[in-house]
Amino acid sequence: MNSHKVISLRNLTPSTYIIRLEKKDFTFKTGQYITLGFSGSIDRREYSIYSAEQDPYIEVLIKEVEDGLLSKKLKKCKPGDELDIDGAFGHFSLKTDEIKNKKFMFISTGTGISPIHSFIHTHPEMDYTLLHGIRHKEEAYEKESYDSNRYVLCTSGENTGDFNGRVTEYLLKNPVSPDTICYLCGNCHMIYEAYDILEKQGIKLGPIHTEVYF
Amino acid sequence: MKTIAFKTLGCRLNQYETDALASKFQNNAYKLVNFDEEADVYVINSCTVTHQSDHKSRNFINQANKRNKDSVLVVTGCMANNAKEELENKDEINYVLENDNKSALYSLVEAHFNGEVKHPSQLNNDLFAYGSTEKGFHTRSMIKIQDGCDNFCTFCIIPSVRGRAKSRPFEAILDNVRSVITNGAKEVVITGVNIGRYEYENYKFDDLIEAILNLDGDFRLRISSLEPDGFGDKFLGLLSHPKMTPHLHLCLQSGSDEVLLRMRRMYTIKTFKNTVEKVRVIRPDFNFTTDIIIGFPGESETDFTDSCDMIQNMEFGHVHTFKYSIRKGTRAERMADQIPEKLKTERSEVLRGIAEESKLKYRSQFVGKTQRVLVENINGNVAKGYGEHYIPVQFEAENIKTNTFYDILVTDINNEKDVVLIGKPA
Repeated sequence: MNSHKVISLRNLTPSTYIIRLEKKDFTFKTGQYITLGFSGSIDRREYSIYSAEQDPYIEVLIKEVEDGLLSKKLKKCKPGDELDIDGAFGHFSLKTDEIKNKKFMFISTGTGISPIHSFIHTHPEMDYTLLHGIRHKEEAYEKESYDSNRYVLCTSGENTGDFNGRVTEYLLKNPVSPDTICYLCGNCHMIYEAYDILEKQGIKLGPIHTEVYF
Repeated sequence: MKTIAFKTLGCRLNQYETDALASKFQNNAYKLVNFDEEADVYVINSCTVTHQSDHKSRNFINQANKRNKDSVLVVTGCMANNAKEELENKDEINYVLENDNKSALYSLVEAHFNGEVKHPSQLNNDLFAYGSTEKGFHTRSMIKIQDGCDNFCTFCIIPSVRGRAKSRPFEAILDNVRSVITNGAKEVVITGVNIGRYEYENYKFDDLIEAILNLDGDFRLRISSLEPDGFGDKFLGLLSHPKMTPHLHLCLQSGSDEVLLRMRRMYTIKTFKNTVEKVRVIRPDFNFTTDIIIGFPGESETDFTDSCDMIQNMEFGHVHTFKYSIRKGTRAERMADQIPEKLKTERSEVLRGIAEESKLKYRSQFVGKTQRVLVENINGNVAKGYGEHYIPVQFEAENIKTNTFYDILVTDINNEKDVVLIGKPA
């Protein structure tokens, strides 16, 4: 476990924010997550890394949880505060031999876009489509950072996105071609439903990768 | 001569480590005695995977202390990592030795008898620095290939207490296997926390298994517990190798995809079934055993029924059932919909009943067939051991020797305590 200084904090919505930390000699594979906590404290939480592998800093996207132990405290961080990072962990990662010659479908809900952001910004040359499912347009976290031709915003709470409905409804109406590699990140229910839909559309089990957010 | 007694809880990796430690003490003039006898040194190699394992470890600490208050009592293993402070505050415990330093147990105890106290920083922290296991508690020779786990399943405390995944050097493992075979081992068991994730330089798990299988000698290889996400078709192909035993403990944990997602398991019911089917197409009597967690947070009646159906459909040779228990610091600790203990117990009883039926059905198919049994225990003319499918077999014969293979024709099945195959030399 290593201590890293907070560089900055930027608010994306009243309840969602990004903490930028100094990188030091920390390395990770895009898609992995870290556990984060205040130096010396036993309370830690897992967050997927939002930044790209090559960025000179580490960023994590955090949603403040009602009654949450850490997300509220982290929001009050100031530049210079020390946070402990452990990791990187996880196997939700891209296969090197597929990055340049495969088509990708990234399906995320809410802050589940975090590792996908890291994928895309680590490998901007990838051939991908990104579905981001949210309720309201304000949750389209930094949508301007994605190629608008590859980004589909699905809003289920209002008709303000590219598609009005859940990502699973979008998938039903817009079948994915069977040669696509799919990465799913978000809540358990979405992953369960989307997995089923993709399988029925002919995607083989191997090319579906999942990461659950709770 | 000083006496030492061990009590081992939990996984096969702990068993391996105890075997190696016990051998080391015996090679240095200690006498190994049973845990229920008086000893100069008691070692509890603990487990913390469930609430119940913690409870058992505490019980054994009390027992050891009652037996000989002047003994040196060492608690090591995963509970030593997870409850270090609590254990260190117990006056009756002399040393709390974390997993990282476990291999240095002998030097710690020797230092104690020489009037020194060693600080953990002075102890060896090489996870693979265990010696031979020839004077341990098992006939089968266990080989440690890796330690730790990076999977971070939401219910599991192991990554916190065993640390990150670390693989033992490839050549060191092969040397270790060669050495145990030369010393007479007939069955080699591969152990570790998450062995399917073995990776050392360019060698993966299947490369290692292939290399071990290709070593000379009259031995058979057994894979212990494997996660269903850690291997591919190359490994499945190796299961047909003549030295490979037709048995895998493949950890299912739940028969419901929704529960598996919440557990952060990296496979689905369909991929699990595919693996089992692929193997059984080649070898229909292949023995799959598994673990099931009952009462994981949010487990509905439907989820539970799915688990019961999986046990019936997969015809497992044995199922370890565990009631889910909250482990502090895991993600599942913070999950809503924790299942009441009473319901977990009820579901446990139902599932265990199904698992027992499945076991009897699976094992019954071996009546009339031959098993190659490695004898582990002999009582008069009655020998007990395990066949290649890892099913217990009992037979009668004269001049039987332990650690020797016997071809046994299975003639009957005894279902009194466990489901044991009864046979006679073929």
